[in-house]
Amino acid sequence: MADEKEKRPEVNEGQEKAMTDEKPPEKSEKELLNFKGRGKFFLKLSLAGLVISMISEFIGIQRFELGIGTIVLLPMLFAVVIGLLVTPDLLGSKIKALRSVISMDEVELAGPFVMLALLPLGVKYGTLVGPNIVQVVQAGPAFLLQELGNLGTIFIALPIALLLGMKREAVGATVSICREPTLGVMGERYGISSPEGTGTLGTYLMGTVFGTIFFGLLGSLSVATGLHPLALAMAGGMGSGSMMTAASGSLAAAVPEMSDQILAYAATSNMLTGVTGLYSVIFLGIPLVNFMYKILYPILGKKENKGGAK
Amino acid sequence: MALDWEKLLNQLKVLIIVGIIVLIAQNIGYDVPIIDAIPGMIIVLAIAFFALVVRALTPNLKFPAFAWASLTALILSMPFMPTSEVFLRLTDQVIFLGTTAPILAFAGISVGNKIEALKKLSWRVFVVAIFVFSGTFFGSAIVAHIVLSIQGII
Repeated sequence: MADEKEKRPEVNEGQEKAMTDEKPPEKSEKELLNFKGRGKFFLKLSLAGLVISMISEFIGIQRFELGIGTIVLLPMLFAVVIGLLVTPDLLGSKIKALRSVISMDEVELAGPFVMLALLPLGVKYGTLVGPNIVQVVQAGPAFLLQELGNLGTIFIALPIALLLGMKREAVGATVSICREPTLGVMGERYGISSPEGTGTLGTYLMGTVFGTIFFGLLGSLSVATGLHPLALAMAGGMGSGSMMTAASGSLAAAVPEMSDQILAYAATSNMLTGVTGLYSVIFLGIPLVNFMYKILYPILGKKENKGGAK
Repeated sequence: MALDWEKLLNQLKVLIIVGIIVLIAQNIGYDVPIIDAIPGMIIVLAIAFFALVVRALTPNLKFPAFAWASLTALILSMPFMPTSEVFLRLTDQVIFLGTTAPILAFAGISVGNKIEALKKLSWRVFVVAIFVFSGTFFGSAIVAHIVLSIQGII
């Protein structure tokens, strides 16, 4: 759900400035979506989206049996990988013809396209929750409490980050899954080019590029843990429409007999995270990650760097 | 409040493009005849556009259009709503997974300008991110599993 906030200027401007100074100012969504004189970008991007979707659907759903469970590869996974590969900095840098179809202009325009392409999916999610509304309401307490589970990032990832030698970056990187609301909050609290801000930005970028791929694989594999598919479905709602879709879509394909319920639970949880996520970061995540950092850094932090730590 | 119809109209055009892509792609992936799915797609796009209008009308709510779209469809498809039967029958022709391929295709393309920024990050960030992703996922799943068990739902 938070994907569509990607183009919210207050988040993106600071982020772009922090990363690259030489870039021209970002166009607003309205400017990007203006067809006048930009028709060829729309045409090329639409055709690219069509061709990638057709290829992905042609490959279809692929299942692989591993010893520990089944990996389900959905067409959306092929679509994101192909989409990523055809951009100017990857295959486009080798193949000139490709660069003339997908240039940075089309890459820029793709952002607003994602926000709009998500809406039909939003409608479909609504049609999954509606008929199951009674069960969803009954599971209300579980929905609310599992939101606290998102703090798991701090308990699991913070020690790892410290062991790897990160310092205050670790606080930003592990405070939450670092979607747009977190980026906004951390940017405001610490500044986006501070160590904390850099950490948040790192996890954010990783999530943007690899999130759907990772959760697309984890969604189906997680069944092997023995956790109930409905609990896993709730866990898939993390505040990102595309990650939730990847996680719940592959989970639903792995447990087809509960498919509708899984998608309904995931969509509900994601909607809830959209509402609670921001407050959870401000009132729980940031205090907790700082508290844990104080305790864990002296134990796990790299000793030779101790002088540099605040 | 004055609505920015120019922007909304451009958004509608993109929605129609997306609708056409989904119709063609789901014909390949899930054998849904394009003609059969058109009425359902028109309803889906109408709700999507409605969500955009509501979003534009309520700038202070910060409730995203995606959530408005879900909420509208949710209300129309609740069992005791008179709309639910016909609404679900028609939108059934728009396949859930079919709507995801174009989103992710565009999402893949849209991160194309972040590759350089990504290359500047060290491998440590990648490792930490994997644990962040797993942490939030399994953290929530474990809590949900326990609460659902206590409630007797699973």
